[in-house]
Amino acid sequence: MRLEPQQRERIDRSRPVSFTFAGWKVTGFEGDTLGSAAFAAGKRVFSRSFKYHRPRGLLCCSGHCPNCLMTVDGVPNVRVCTEPIREGAVVRGQNVRWSLDLDFMSVTDKIGGPFTPVGFYYRTFIRPRRLWPLYEKFLRGAAGLGKLDEHAGHSRRYDVEHRRARVLVVGGGQAGRAAALAAATTGPGVVLVDEDARHGSLRLEGVEVLAPARALGIWEGGLVPVDAGTLLYRFRAERIIVATGATEQPLVFPGNDLVGVMLPDGARRLVRDYSVKPGNRAVVLASDDAGLEIADDLREAGIAVPRVLDLREVRPRELAAQGRKGRVRRLVVDDESIDCDLLVASAGSQPAYSLLAQAGARVEFDPELGVFVPTDLPRGVEAVGSVTGEGLGEVAPEPDYRGGGKCFVCVCEDVTTKDLKRAIAEGFDSIELAKRYTTTTMGPCQGKLCHLPSIRLYAQENRMYESAIGTTTARPPWAPVELGLLAGRELTPTRLTSIHWRHVEAGATIQWAGPWKRPYAYGDKPDDEVRAVHESLGIIDVSTLGKLVVEGPDAVALLERLYPNRFGDMKPGRIRYGVLTSDGGRIMDDGTIARLAGDIFYVTTTSTGADAVTAWFEWWNAAWGYEAEIVSVTGAIAAVNLAGPRSRDALQRLTEADVSAEGFKYLDAQEIEVAGIPTLALRIGFVGELGYELHFPSAAGEFLWDRLVAEGARPFGLEPQRVLRLEKGHVIDGQDTDSESNLYSSGMSWLPKLDKDDFVGKYALEHFARREETERLVGFTMEDDYLPAEGAQVVIEGRPAGRVTSARRSEAVGAVIGLAWVAADRAESGTRVEIRIDRLLRGARVMHGAFFDAAGERMRG
Amino acid sequence: MRLSFLSPSRCEQGTIASPLRRALDTVSDTEGRKEQASGAELVIQHLVRDLSLRGIVEIRGDLDLVPPSAGEGLVRLSPRRGYAFTDDDPADVAERLRARGVLAYDATGALAGIAIASEQVMRRLTDLDLERLPTAGPFAHVTAIVRRDEAGWFEVYVQQELGHYVAEAIVDALAGLDMPPGLTPEAGA
Repeated sequence: MRLEPQQRERIDRSRPVSFTFAGWKVTGFEGDTLGSAAFAAGKRVFSRSFKYHRPRGLLCCSGHCPNCLMTVDGVPNVRVCTEPIREGAVVRGQNVRWSLDLDFMSVTDKIGGPFTPVGFYYRTFIRPRRLWPLYEKFLRGAAGLGKLDEHAGHSRRYDVEHRRARVLVVGGGQAGRAAALAAATTGPGVVLVDEDARHGSLRLEGVEVLAPARALGIWEGGLVPVDAGTLLYRFRAERIIVATGATEQPLVFPGNDLVGVMLPDGARRLVRDYSVKPGNRAVVLASDDAGLEIADDLREAGIAVPRVLDLREVRPRELAAQGRKGRVRRLVVDDESIDCDLLVASAGSQPAYSLLAQAGARVEFDPELGVFVPTDLPRGVEAVGSVTGEGLGEVAPEPDYRGGGKCFVCVCEDVTTKDLKRAIAEGFDSIELAKRYTTTTMGPCQGKLCHLPSIRLYAQENRMYESAIGTTTARPPWAPVELGLLAGRELTPTRLTSIHWRHVEAGATIQWAGPWKRPYAYGDKPDDEVRAVHESLGIIDVSTLGKLVVEGPDAVALLERLYPNRFGDMKPGRIRYGVLTSDGGRIMDDGTIARLAGDIFYVTTTSTGADAVTAWFEWWNAAWGYEAEIVSVTGAIAAVNLAGPRSRDALQRLTEADVSAEGFKYLDAQEIEVAGIPTLALRIGFVGELGYELHFPSAAGEFLWDRLVAEGARPFGLEPQRVLRLEKGHVIDGQDTDSESNLYSSGMSWLPKLDKDDFVGKYALEHFARREETERLVGFTMEDDYLPAEGAQVVIEGRPAGRVTSARRSEAVGAVIGLAWVAADRAESGTRVEIRIDRLLRGARVMHGAFFDAAGERMRG
Repeated sequence: MRLSFLSPSRCEQGTIASPLRRALDTVSDTEGRKEQASGAELVIQHLVRDLSLRGIVEIRGDLDLVPPSAGEGLVRLSPRRGYAFTDDDPADVAERLRARGVLAYDATGALAGIAIASEQVMRRLTDLDLERLPTAGPFAHVTAIVRRDEAGWFEVYVQQELGHYVAEAIVDALAGLDMPPGLTPEAGA
């Protein structure tokens, strides 16, 4: 029911707004919240409690308590008391079986109490253990909060915005506003944030005001995340002023959760802000002067207030609210019964110090005020206003009052005084332990309304002072926050070559390859692409290879110490294969090294190893103090491998350089111009056919690709490349090798030059050279046409003896071929092994060297 | 010339393209559709600009030997490593710098660049202090060099291969701010 227009009402009565509340159409006004409009329309039950499914109504109207958590437009756990009204919104109850007014699960409140004491799920449902999943499912269904809409996250956009502030003021009350204005006089960069939407229209000279916006915590370096709905501000502030005020505390007495029991500020907001009559007949229970003031406010609004009890003066033996159907009907004080439909009760106010405590402030009990106050603030963090305890009067309510009915300390988790007393009796005498056992302070209010009452009760039961009990640890977030907001936008850094879109346009199947997106194949027949390379001309985008320019007077010395083989004797214009080994002599990465000039080398690495190799080079270069520069040009350079018997002819048509067998020999490197593009051409062949790796400016990637394709080169993807390299027995580091593989066990004993001066891994390689390896990487050919999975078990005489690392069906070889680790004594060429495929053992023969063109004539031709 | 295969400027005319072309093509398309739909004069908010083919030279050595000349900007990553941004042919600039006692490489193709007018877009994608530029640091989860030009635009340079991803992130951030993204007429290659 609406009151006559109030002096400071926020609603615009000329602008009605309609929405659906629990299936009912409700009309409020612009300026209302969903909660105030529903209350004005006569709705009193907004939620059902977490455990007992007791009806709950508006309590604080400040967005602190859990009583108005509802699902709004599919988003669960929205506090409708602060959620602005919007046309067409659909508001539904949650944790309800049937309706808000009639919840079948409320039977747990009637009969479940004795059977569901605190921690009952740890004890009652512990046996038999195998049924726990069943119990868990039931308990989760019976209790809890709203259900997440699996699809809602995709329809809402969340953003993160990084901000910097010289001064960040948290809280827009009197003290916060004064602090912000004072800070603004000393310079720009002052921002004030407040969770109350009303402050959105606040105008303070020199101050940027953000509202509604709630600070979630204070981290090191002045980091303050601020929740502004679907936008998360990440503030870095030089100075943080906390002016979060104080939070009214609920009075702990039997029936204190009945619908119609409200905190003074909640009732005041309904009257002043929304001109809503919170009740017809009110009783006020006050623990401080502020609590008494509400009586005058209610009377001014025309509400009968037959009784006001100042609990500082009156110490009743018995105090209980009684009701019907969950709604308050009367207050019983000792032997007196007072009829009412509104019970405004408060146990005073507690400074809202959580942000300060998170920042590192100490929190101490102030015996004069009867509340906890922050002290010893960390550097850069200040507190002003009632969060310091300033302006608060002494309060000393009883920790609990006797009477009939449940007496709640924590309305979020349905924890009663009886529960806490039982926990203490069971030995949970530390407030931190009790928190975990009873879950008090762990609900949606994050302790705002239950922390102080639970400590007061603990002090009483343990006959200790509150100061000795202490507080629980304050952890962020200070208020519940949507996970989507913390996550922000989904950003997945993706590396694309400059030719990527040509692959997409050609219909390639694109797959992740480390941080890159690469074509798997250009159709559903990768074998056709393999055949094109063998018989004609193929082209593959290898721009993903890591590429380094190593230059300087000590470039040779650096490479000599990084690699196990020699580079000092290389002539300019020649290429050599290199394998990097770790200090332990294990294989790290491989690639080619081309000497472009006396002190300039061009080094390629594997696609996924580029960053690690660059860091490895730079680290050793710095450690040895060499005068050599390592410049990563991975992205600057596009690279393609033009391979196949027709590659020479095709390339010759696009360049004036001599690329004949004599003019451009195998393992030559030449800087030439191809179709008007300056190119470093490398005569190497990972895929085993005559081929040229062309490295050129990435900006010309699409152009040169198009020209080469126009010359008849058929694009091939990663899958055909794997077949082709396997036919040559070429190893892929990381796939065929692992962190234990070394050059000797991997069949590359020809590579290390142990007579060189010291190099990385030399000591270990000398050791490997002397010892007998226990297993070796070998090739194999299947006896039949069965294709083993990569990782398949190799079996010798019925016992596991190795694993397959690569296997493909090769049309050129006419068999299924692969690489596998096998026991060293079975690594002889021709040895028969068995490989487990679909639980059956299939025969295979060990083979050394290339499966195809073993002499390498095609590649070197 | 040695290492000429690093230089897009040494390619024949009409053979090179920006790595951001496709990511920003969608922006142009959006503008085109809006223009047609409204039928009225369109006020394009030029919020992004493609800088990818702008000349950049990576310098190794004593940077004090090569103070930037007119039309050049120098971003120091360390006392011995920096990037020179130039309006001249970067391959020529690299040769000139080498003659002055440092090693220099044409890095034009190594970095994709995009200029952003909106500070709010920047704040959506980086926590770098925008009052202290130039600098290098995280931008949309990758490492970037960020500087500011004389007109107040923010210039963001990332590895070329990440350029498309970053451009998409920027266009997405513009959409999140409900800003109609638009390219300047000279943008794109």
